[in-house]
Amino acid sequence: MAKQVLYIEMENCIGCRSCLAACTQCGGHDNRNRNYVLDVDPFETRQTIPLMCLHCVNPACARSCPAQAIQIADNGAVLSALVEKCIGCQNCTIACPYGIPKFDEEQNLMYKCDLCYDRSKDGIPPMCASVCPTNTLQWIDEKELAEKQAQHKLANGKWMASQMIEPLESETNVKISLPGILQGKQKLF
Amino acid sequence: MPTDKFFKQIANKVHPGEKLVSTHCSYCGMQCGMNLRVDTHSNTIIGVEPRYDFPVNLGKMCPKGVTAYQQVNHPDRIKRPLVRRDPSLKGTPDGFAEVSWEEALTLVTNKFKELQARYGKDTLSVYSGVSMTNEKCYLTGKFARVGLQTRYVDYNGRFCMSSAAAGLNRSLGIDRGSTVPWTDIHQTDCLFIAGSNAAECHPTSMFRIWEVQKRGGYLIVADPRETPLARRADIHLDLRPGTDLALANGIVHLLIKNGHIDEEFIRNHTNGFEETKELVASFTPEYVSEITGIAVEKIVRAAEIYGKAPEAIVLFCRGIEQQSKGTDNVSGYTNMALVTGKIGRPKSGVATLTGQGNGQGGREHGQKADQLPGYRKMDNPEHVREVACLWGIPEEEMPQKGVSAYEMFQLMLDKTIRSMYLLCSNPAVSAPNQNHVRAAMKSLDFMVCADFYMSESAEYADVILPVTTWAEDDGTTTNLEGRVIRHRQAQEWYAESKPDWWIQIEIAKRMGRGQYFEHLKNPRDIFDELRRLSKGATADYSGITYEKIDQQNGVFWPCTDDGDQGTPHLFLDKKFKHPDGKAKICALPYRPPAEEPDDEYPLRLTTGRVVYHYLSGNQTRRIPFLKAMYPDPLLEVHPETAKKYGLEHGELVLLQTRRGEAKYRVKVIAAIRPDTVFVAYHWGKDESINLLTNPALDPYSRMPEFKACAAKIVKLPKEEQLHG
Repeated sequence: MAKQVLYIEMENCIGCRSCLAACTQCGGHDNRNRNYVLDVDPFETRQTIPLMCLHCVNPACARSCPAQAIQIADNGAVLSALVEKCIGCQNCTIACPYGIPKFDEEQNLMYKCDLCYDRSKDGIPPMCASVCPTNTLQWIDEKELAEKQAQHKLANGKWMASQMIEPLESETNVKISLPGILQGKQKLF
Repeated sequence: MPTDKFFKQIANKVHPGEKLVSTHCSYCGMQCGMNLRVDTHSNTIIGVEPRYDFPVNLGKMCPKGVTAYQQVNHPDRIKRPLVRRDPSLKGTPDGFAEVSWEEALTLVTNKFKELQARYGKDTLSVYSGVSMTNEKCYLTGKFARVGLQTRYVDYNGRFCMSSAAAGLNRSLGIDRGSTVPWTDIHQTDCLFIAGSNAAECHPTSMFRIWEVQKRGGYLIVADPRETPLARRADIHLDLRPGTDLALANGIVHLLIKNGHIDEEFIRNHTNGFEETKELVASFTPEYVSEITGIAVEKIVRAAEIYGKAPEAIVLFCRGIEQQSKGTDNVSGYTNMALVTGKIGRPKSGVATLTGQGNGQGGREHGQKADQLPGYRKMDNPEHVREVACLWGIPEEEMPQKGVSAYEMFQLMLDKTIRSMYLLCSNPAVSAPNQNHVRAAMKSLDFMVCADFYMSESAEYADVILPVTTWAEDDGTTTNLEGRVIRHRQAQEWYAESKPDWWIQIEIAKRMGRGQYFEHLKNPRDIFDELRRLSKGATADYSGITYEKIDQQNGVFWPCTDDGDQGTPHLFLDKKFKHPDGKAKICALPYRPPAEEPDDEYPLRLTTGRVVYHYLSGNQTRRIPFLKAMYPDPLLEVHPETAKKYGLEHGELVLLQTRRGEAKYRVKVIAAIRPDTVFVAYHWGKDESINLLTNPALDPYSRMPEFKACAAKIVKLPKEEQLHG
């Protein structure tokens, strides 16, 4: 099976938060959602953007874990902390540059997006990308990814989140197009 | 298999100890395909799984769809019939006692018989809805006219699709919401969308809408608010609420002036062009700009783009339809397609985005005051004869036509109607001018409400009959394309609840009318009768079977015989459905909204939906995720307006019109016209924006003017601003 990745086109987002509702529906997620949708400038516009775990290739959350509770799956998914290993120190929630890992006070346990590993390990798209009604979140293979990359020739020549901000030292498994997907688009007529 | 560019063959996830039941959403007219996850041990619905292979939505769902299943085994479900013991508590959820079905049905029929003996057959009324299957919608019309023998039956589509229906019938001679299948939308070159916030009301259309822009096509949106859809439009026509007809006439004027019309098409396939040309001559961009408040350049550019587009689809929704000239707005925007000939071929046409799940099918099968099954009309003696014959009743027993939904409340107040059987609707939230409507419901001698939750309207009832949800019954709906699809039962009937069809048949039997109903044992029997009755009529379902729906992923009506696969595209033969085969280009004089702002009420109030809620909110306000996302109604105010009135974000204010008032928290947002304020209509009691809305009715569709009235904001004293 060709490797598939989560790909995000921020500008398509309409703020419906279907991705968050769907996140609770992955059988393994205990009915809790793991990601965020943010209002960009709520007094001015209805623009929203999803803030998903980017599944870093060399993730700060896992590296900061003193108990090695955060495992990385074969498809690159950075998983929730293992119940038997997590000591509840919350290092990961501080280390993550995006503020993704959530913490359950009662269980003393970190939980986060695992790309619906239960589904994605069998080539089934994660729930968020399955339901996203705008194609903001897409689950695509490497060929499709290359096509996206070719289509979106952006002004600054960059398009991956991992290259956006200097301090992010490593590549991410989730790919994000920079704002401007329609920039320079040749109109049909 | 879908052939769409977005389609991917994906296997479903099936968890151990579960099975999937393939069905559709309970909410809007998109009727998205979905799988319900059923625990095979307890036989209960426990979740949702995408249905990747349903061609309309390909697995995509909005947050309402994702959580729809949570309605089914919700703790608020009504388990047993309830009878009001304390009439002084009418209008509250208290004072009811649980009884057996036998006792409830006996009480209902005794009361109905007693009232009819004293005041005549027409003292009863049936007030219905279209968030239910074709089978139920069809049976409700028959239940009213044959079972209860009353003329007074109408439904909540009067607040939803009636203007689209009247306008499309007038322009095209047929009322099927879309002339093209939804899979055409992303393939067209220009979308002209008027009065639709598709991003919140029909979110699963959005991946197709954005695709038009990604291909280099254009998106033009007419809306007083910069909705999440308008935000990305190539041109946002930010018009004043209630001025659509001026814009439509103005665009047609420019299409003619620019030579973007198809003269051959006009000559061969339409009537009315010359009168219309004369009428729109005065609708210059400057004049239209003056009425609508849209900049002249934007009007000119929009007309140029639509005119030059090789293929284009005009889409509209309640924004243009819920006006006292909603029918004219529909015909006005349809004129754009007719003068340019951009209709009657793939990738070009007109469509309305249907609001309720079965808003299309539910308006075809005879639960409208003036209409019989198959879209037959009550004022056509031939149609009345045909239906009477098929129902097996003497022709003279067919009741006269009744009055529209809102008008029924007036008849309740003057005691022409003394009893209402309410199902699948919540007028105590959804009807305009609530003070009047609630007084009417309270004045009834006897009211029955069939619902699965205690709605605001059920609180006025004397008897509440618990019904099943959509996921506990079989049947068909017709989606916004005109595609007839199948809903499947995924769980047994909850507690003692029963489907509406079961209840209506039982009441009809007890009313002594069993002979007309006893042969109907299940939804399939009812569908077969509906098919027979629709044969030869406009909305012809006679060739549609449950099996054909399964094989083809739905069947588009008309479908006239066994070999017919249905009609995804209308008018490919350029034959419109008026007797002469021609469409009508309508000359439509402009009228302002029934109520315009003045010194006393200086603002324009418009209403609509938010993405997290559906209709009166009776279903969605109880779902934890949806409630958490949008718990209370908000008053959207432009920053300039907020500054003018000295309002802060989050402040509680009083909003008033000539009909009523309510308090709302202010949401300051620049994405609305400064002269306009907006409140969503999903809440009841003292939060209902319909306490304020204007019941001015469209002369053809009897649609109230929800979308435009005059309002004022009153600042509250400091202590009230915080608590309220």
